[in-house]
Amino acid sequence: MLSATWITIGLAVAIALIVSVTTGPFALINSLVTGGMWALMAAGLALVFGVMNIPNFAHGEFFMVGTLVAYFVFTPISKFLQKNPSPVLSAVAPFAGIILATLVGGVLGIVIEKVLFQQLRRRSKEQWVMNTFLLTAGVSVFIINGTLLIWGTEFKGITRYWDVKPLDLFGVNLTVDRIVAFAIALVTIVAFWLFMQRTNVGRAMRAVSQDEVGAQMVGIDLQLVHTLTLALSSALAALAGASLLFMFPSYPTVGLKPLYVAWYVVILAGLGNVSGAVAGGFIVALLQTLTSYFIGVGWEDVVPTALIILILLFKPSGLFGSEVKGVWEQ
Amino acid sequence: MNTTETARPATQTFDRLSGWPLRLILLGLLIALPFIPPFNRQDLLRWLIGAALIAAQAIAFDFTAGYINVVNFGFAAFVGLGGYTSTLLALRFGLSPWIGMFVGAAAAALVGFFTGALTLRLRGIFAAVMAWFVGLALLGLTRNLTDLTRGALGLNAPTLLETADNLPYYYIIVAMMILTFVALRYITQSHVGLAFRAIGQNVDAARASGVNPTYYRVLNFTVSCAFAGWLGGFYAHYYGILTPDVMQTSHTVEVLAVAYIGGRGSLWGGALAAFPLIFLTEWLRSTLVDLPGLHLVLYGLLLILVMIYYPGGIAELIRWIQGRLRKAT
Repeated sequence: MLSATWITIGLAVAIALIVSVTTGPFALINSLVTGGMWALMAAGLALVFGVMNIPNFAHGEFFMVGTLVAYFVFTPISKFLQKNPSPVLSAVAPFAGIILATLVGGVLGIVIEKVLFQQLRRRSKEQWVMNTFLLTAGVSVFIINGTLLIWGTEFKGITRYWDVKPLDLFGVNLTVDRIVAFAIALVTIVAFWLFMQRTNVGRAMRAVSQDEVGAQMVGIDLQLVHTLTLALSSALAALAGASLLFMFPSYPTVGLKPLYVAWYVVILAGLGNVSGAVAGGFIVALLQTLTSYFIGVGWEDVVPTALIILILLFKPSGLFGSEVKGVWEQ
Repeated sequence: MNTTETARPATQTFDRLSGWPLRLILLGLLIALPFIPPFNRQDLLRWLIGAALIAAQAIAFDFTAGYINVVNFGFAAFVGLGGYTSTLLALRFGLSPWIGMFVGAAAAALVGFFTGALTLRLRGIFAAVMAWFVGLALLGLTRNLTDLTRGALGLNAPTLLETADNLPYYYIIVAMMILTFVALRYITQSHVGLAFRAIGQNVDAARASGVNPTYYRVLNFTVSCAFAGWLGGFYAHYYGILTPDVMQTSHTVEVLAVAYIGGRGSLWGGALAAFPLIFLTEWLRSTLVDLPGLHLVLYGLLLILVMIYYPGGIAELIRWIQGRLRKAT
């Protein structure tokens, strides 16, 4: 299994390098920036599936909430800054929006777990995977149209977080926003990995994803783990949304594309495989960049889909296999 | 969900009354509806047609979701595929829409067959997500093959009839809805339907008792997609405008919500739920124009409530009332 994983990752890196040599580093840098964010989205989605057995169809809505909160926090501050400029505040202000968005995403996750999933879990666990999929479809429709009802359809976007001249890197104009987005993704992925490996809560989450009954037997509070898992997953999605506000202006259905890209990644990496999802995020981003560069804009959904279907024909458990194969047997 | 009813002599009179006479009354109501006052207006007739179209789609959707427990998240794409096939044949080769609708159904069935054959070996959730991906790919193809489909500009489909009157269309879609129901009901009542239900409840148990899950699932999926494509033909040749938007996931979710609110595994539940739901949403849309999305908020809320608190939906409610009446008689 390990060898297949490394062959895939090695192949992706090789393709990225070859393409960068022939077309310039443009493809590589673009896939790194979006790939980092897809990795965050997909890791959250895989985590919730692994720990709670919920295939979350509303995952994109947390992304949308992230963009919305970041917009409403950042725009007033930047208006204030136009009147009384302050270099320190303008450097810090975007982070305020991004952090607050992450927190709101986490709280929303807690609310949804308490109000919906806990109720359903108490009532019936029959055909849990399919039923929660449909339940989250309802949540998605509700949140999208609730947002539409309250804030309307107009695009709420910003041109940039940091008003700094773009850097010139190997002949590519790289805005500071992109660099920071990539840095946020990297730091978060490392922190997330440390959290899952080193902390007790992280260990408890992994224990629950491996064996729910066993975890309960050694005294893990299932309800707490479930709540924290959904909070963490939705916070990651909101963080991705807030960090990418300059690329994805906020409107009610902005979460759809991140949602299905995260699903591409998760299916490609194997359902419930969190570390595979991180690698898969970069691979799918690379695939999309290459498709829109060589075949044309608009095709970046068609080609990866076809490829994923082909891959699944030969490896139904996903590219990297999956430790929690037992989960979708239910 | 499917309770086996043992008919005792005392309750037979009631059962006989609630069987065929009730069905005939409902059929009569459907036929007479366009002449009963508020519904004889052209705009309300359009709502009725929209409701019947959603009702028929919900029946075809429930045939997969409620019986083999595979949710076809690409359903709207198959509807769109049927519509586009029929429209393109009419525009390019002058094929009559009446025949084109059936060719559209065949095209949707063919793609459905391959989708099913590729994905239905996998577990339910995988199949649902893969069907969604196929739907997204079809949507992407329709958007990007601009030479063929004119992309987002859409196509002007020739209408089924010359007349601008909605009444004949109403009878056509009601006939299509009833035909969909009768055909799918016939299948689910046969031994094939028994196999479907066995697979839907427990795949491993079904396999152990000699039912080949993949065979029956692919069969079910193909039939459902064929009806989706056929209904898509009606959509195209009634509204006359076809854009890639018909294939969007939100349309699948709309049909899905109606089918589940109506009651999974009943076929008629979704059809029954469609009429009040579509009327409610159309009314909200036309009266509260400044509150866009309100009707969909209600859809989402209803779907959430049904999924958590009342998984049987409206069909379960009606069965409960029937049981009560039976005890009373």
